[in-house]
Amino acid sequence: MKLPPICKTYAGRKVLDLPGLELKDGVIHAVIGANGSGKSTLARILAGVLEPDGGALPRVGPSGYMPQRSYPFRMSVLHNLQLTGAGREQAMGQLKAFGLDGLARQSAKGLSGGETARLALARLLLKDYPFLILDEPTAAMDVAATLLAEELLLQYQARTGCTVLLVTHSLTQARRLAGQVLFLREGRLVEQGEAGQVLFHPRRAETRAFLDFYAL
Amino acid sequence: MKTAFVQALALILSGDRQLGIILATTLRMALASSVIALLLGAPLGVLLGSYAGRGKRPLVVINRTLMGLPPVVVGLVCYMLFSGVGPLRHLRLLYTVRGMVIAQVILLVPLIAGTLESHVSTVAPDIRETALGLGLGRGRILLLTINESQYQLVSAYLLGLGRAFAEVGAVSMVGGAIAYKTNVMTTAIMNYTNMGAFTTALALGIILLAISLLLNAGVALLHWRLTR
Repeated sequence: MKLPPICKTYAGRKVLDLPGLELKDGVIHAVIGANGSGKSTLARILAGVLEPDGGALPRVGPSGYMPQRSYPFRMSVLHNLQLTGAGREQAMGQLKAFGLDGLARQSAKGLSGGETARLALARLLLKDYPFLILDEPTAAMDVAATLLAEELLLQYQARTGCTVLLVTHSLTQARRLAGQVLFLREGRLVEQGEAGQVLFHPRRAETRAFLDFYAL
Repeated sequence: MKTAFVQALALILSGDRQLGIILATTLRMALASSVIALLLGAPLGVLLGSYAGRGKRPLVVINRTLMGLPPVVVGLVCYMLFSGVGPLRHLRLLYTVRGMVIAQVILLVPLIAGTLESHVSTVAPDIRETALGLGLGRGRILLLTINESQYQLVSAYLLGLGRAFAEVGAVSMVGGAIAYKTNVMTTAIMNYTNMGAFTTALALGIILLAISLLLNAGVALLHWRLTR
């Protein structure tokens, strides 16, 4: 999947300035970098909810997107899952897989932060998308919920063969899930490559400094 | 004062015909104007709150200005439009309940739209982003936004209804406070006070206060039910 150059300027400050990215079909791409490096801006532009400088990107096909602050709609947990057209049985099965079946009838507004994140991911993964964009999907989850969500994401990816862009602050998560890693710094793409190469044998000094800081 | 209260309560309980007509006219005028204003103001408020493009700020400023419209100015403009030399004289709306409803709607639409706009502006970006991520269309996003604003919707309606009950400037100019026809509680209180009939005026005042209490209790109950 080849993307055109992407730029985004906020109040005169260029927050994203990327050359034409190339994403490998059927691979999970982890986007790593410090706060303000442009990860979420990239995710929002690719999802079509934010317009880059120079107008919207050409559509890369139907994509599923989980924003950083995914919204629990004012209805039951089950009805939240049925929003995309899933039947009751399918939605209940998904809730069970995500360990939320006991909360099916409860209002989604009453969920904790971690449960809301699980609901958001469960809701998104009910539909098959060729391209999936996840912005820190497990940031609010505890360790057990994170591992479960990762396992279910891997199963989904294996079943659908979709391409995934995963924005994450967790380098261990990037190591567990990603085939490719993109390292952003101050809105620029510093390095992109195989996960093992970027995370353990980075070519660029900036990437090494970032990884050393996080003591991977 | 105490005697006046007792007499006022006796008047309410006696089923006085004139008091009944004033109450019925007030209810008719307040319910009609608040429902029409809700039907016009709610979509405006939701659309304005959801809209994030250019020109939003001037529109919000205009609406907030209209929220502070002096009722007597609206009454004056309506009077000039509906009077015998006005451009809408053929509609024969002056000194009618329909004319009063129109004046009230002009006052209430910005109020309801503004209340909803300020709430929707805070939740719309997250709703829109999540819904677009799920591939939902604009119509579904609008419905979800309205669903997320249930409490504010009812709250805005009750605010409008309360304002319609309590308003006096515009309705007295357009309606003329004609007995048995366009006299509503607020204009009647003024008339009875001017005539020295304080007991009747106080009885109407007590009813107005009771309505206000009921409306506020309704809002509080609804808030409790929706947030528990």
